[in-house]
Amino acid sequence: MSAPEHLLELTDVAKHFGGLYALSGLSFQVDPGEIVSVIGPNGAGKSTMFNVVTGLYGPDDGGIRFRGADIVGLAPNQVTKLGIARTFQTVHLFPNMTILENAMVGQHCRTRSGVFGSVLGLPGTRREEQRIRERARESLGFFGSRLVGYREEQPASALSYANRRRLEMARALATDPALVMLDEPTAGMNPRETLELRDHIVRMRDELGLTVLVIEHDMRVVKGVSDRVVALDYGRKIAEGSYEEVANDPQVIEAYLGTKAVG
Amino acid sequence: MGGVPTRSIVRAGLFGGAGAIYVALVGLYTKFADLELVGEQVTLGRVLIVAPAFVAAYAVTRPRVVAGERHSVDLRGGLAVGALSGLVGAGLFAAALWFADWFGVDRIREVFVAITEPLVDFLTFDKGVPAGLPLLIVLCAAGGVVGGFVRTAPAAIRRPASAGVLAVILLGLLQRIIPIVFVQLGFEADWLYERGAGLTWFGGLIVFVVAAAANALWNQDGGRTRERVRRNVGQAPAAKVGLFVAILAILTILPLLLGTAISEVLGSVMIYVLLGLGLNIVVGYAGLLDLGYVAFFAFGAYTTGLLTGAFLNTTTGAATPALSADLNFYVAVWIVALLAAGVGLLIGAPVLRLRGDYLAIVTLGLGEIVSVITASKWAQPLIGGPQGMRGVTKAEVLGLNFQDNPQHFYYLALAFVLLAAFVSWRLSTSRIGRAWNAMREDEQVADAMGISTTKFKLLAFALGGAIGSLGGALFAVSIGSLTPASFEITVSITALAVVILGGLGSIPGVLVGALVLIGLPGLLREFEEYRALIYGGALVAIMILRPQGLIPNVRRSRELEDEEVTQDAWATAAGARSEAVAAVLPGGGLGVEQEDLE
Repeated sequence: MSAPEHLLELTDVAKHFGGLYALSGLSFQVDPGEIVSVIGPNGAGKSTMFNVVTGLYGPDDGGIRFRGADIVGLAPNQVTKLGIARTFQTVHLFPNMTILENAMVGQHCRTRSGVFGSVLGLPGTRREEQRIRERARESLGFFGSRLVGYREEQPASALSYANRRRLEMARALATDPALVMLDEPTAGMNPRETLELRDHIVRMRDELGLTVLVIEHDMRVVKGVSDRVVALDYGRKIAEGSYEEVANDPQVIEAYLGTKAVG
Repeated sequence: MGGVPTRSIVRAGLFGGAGAIYVALVGLYTKFADLELVGEQVTLGRVLIVAPAFVAAYAVTRPRVVAGERHSVDLRGGLAVGALSGLVGAGLFAAALWFADWFGVDRIREVFVAITEPLVDFLTFDKGVPAGLPLLIVLCAAGGVVGGFVRTAPAAIRRPASAGVLAVILLGLLQRIIPIVFVQLGFEADWLYERGAGLTWFGGLIVFVVAAAANALWNQDGGRTRERVRRNVGQAPAAKVGLFVAILAILTILPLLLGTAISEVLGSVMIYVLLGLGLNIVVGYAGLLDLGYVAFFAFGAYTTGLLTGAFLNTTTGAATPALSADLNFYVAVWIVALLAAGVGLLIGAPVLRLRGDYLAIVTLGLGEIVSVITASKWAQPLIGGPQGMRGVTKAEVLGLNFQDNPQHFYYLALAFVLLAAFVSWRLSTSRIGRAWNAMREDEQVADAMGISTTKFKLLAFALGGAIGSLGGALFAVSIGSLTPASFEITVSITALAVVILGGLGSIPGVLVGALVLIGLPGLLREFEEYRALIYGGALVAIMILRPQGLIPNVRRSRELEDEEVTQDAWATAAGARSEAVAAVLPGGGLGVEQEDLE
């Protein structure tokens, strides 16, 4: 029996697509209040791991426990309801809904108004709708003034690239998660935006009390935020530990730079 | 010429000529030769002579993009291009007519039944071939000139002029309705309309001037007035309520103004509004393309019959169905809606995993199954099979008879429509509507954000089904007898056309779509046999000119805006950028000093 302190625990997780092993024998844990970075070259299985954890794919083998409960086989919406929120490697918003509505969708799984309440406009439903709105504004406000005010009513497709990334994170925060999984949050951002985002990730832990699991290519960010780093290659864990330990691990360097030419 | 390649002009002209030949072949000219719009001279048939050349010229004088730059055709070019394309089309049309005359109209008629001597007389203005051809050619060329004019003239002229002409044609077409309204209101109509015919010349002139003036007012200050009105009406709650009350008032007094015959048409419009509202939940809100919606219509109609004590038609007379109740309509109708919601779940469950085309095909099949069952011998003991049922309740209450009096029926239908519209509106602005919206935009992401797509798809099918079954129930009450011929695939297609024409996801759009697609052909009985042609033409036109529908839902129109950056485009850009970042990242020992950044 594992100690119940682990928030997320993967045990020997395997996932293959046809003959290709995207993940094999992958085990690691995330503890409450940690920021854990997952690194690895393209095709190492990082995003596949995210998709397996969040229920988009079922694992072919192994166990995944969240807060001690088995979450293998749950639908993505059930996983989200349990408290895991995520973003996607390529931004996936609801482009024709407004910015506020995008964030309000995040509150969906925390609310319960049904057909009758909505049609009859019952007081409970109205209060809940008000709460959804407030909670959505709150998570938009996490990113300063970039997503609030007049912007609320703009369609998400009107946002700049970096703001789309931020909105996607705000939407994830609006699901009231315990664990936030960010898939390359700084991809495509310029250096200034990247730095700002690094601070946001730290604030998610320090101010919101969240646990963060982040896939990141930008080593400046990895170095700046990580309590722990997990390195993957070919679907396996090749190193785990502090940033310095992992960054100087020969296997990791080899995975990134290739084998030293002999002779 | 005028910046338009000669090849394009000739091609457009030939298309126009071919269009005119097509109109002749399907018999529209002879059908409408005598439908007078204004005076005795302007008949719908003659408008149709001009129309193909007009459309061709309007299309070919559109602004062109050459090497990334937009080039508009100027007025002189527009007139010249229009005249040339009109002449080319007229030439083709006249040549075809000449050929027909030479070859022998009677011989052609063996294949194309609409090619007759009266048609030739009509097209040559009773002068015969070839004496009448020059006039025909001039008329077509004039159509081309007008088409070029409407595209290229300054907005301050062409907008009011177009509005005036359209108003004259529309009021000319409504010649059987407007005079009745006038008489009901106690006004004289003789100055406006000839008795039993179209507008008088004086009336036509008045209509043109009024419509043009109204349009000019609306567009003055380069559209600023329009914007101001829109903003005020759009934002002030009082204005919104006022508009709503006004529409409601008009809908309420409509049958009193229009009399029995037209109220009957309005009744069928209302039934399709109900179907459209239900289907709008499934297709417009939840984004599930359902081509088998007739299933709910049939279910609602037959279940209403069964629950309210209708009889089976048999060869020996009436019989009681195998399953039957004798409930009051106002009790039965709620049971029908509830059961239909259950059927919605049953139909929804097997198709949950399907998307797009596959969903459409499977629902099409399910709809066909229901149609086939209604007509089958197998279902005879229950719903009468091919012979159907009769004696559906008249739903009488407070001395109102909803079966024999179309004016009364209209009010019953209006009540249900208002109910369904209210439910749709409330849902669309609620947490549920938001979930449907998210699901329609990106199902997988909606799921990952905590929305149970299974639950919300089923909910859409159930609610859409319940509202559709109300349409069926009303239909059953209105005609009193049910036969399988009323429950064929055309119902599904028509309901879908109503929703698409009006604008997916738009409640007022459903009303307008039903008025255009059900109301107009019903009011203008000459159009009845061309109903399918009108549907087809209207849908093609709307898809090309205004894909978001006549009264679009805000979000839907966003989806179709030109400058919209699609999710795929983001993905490509993001992919490229993240690879660029990845390429520079694992510098020696993977460490990069932060000073580089700050």
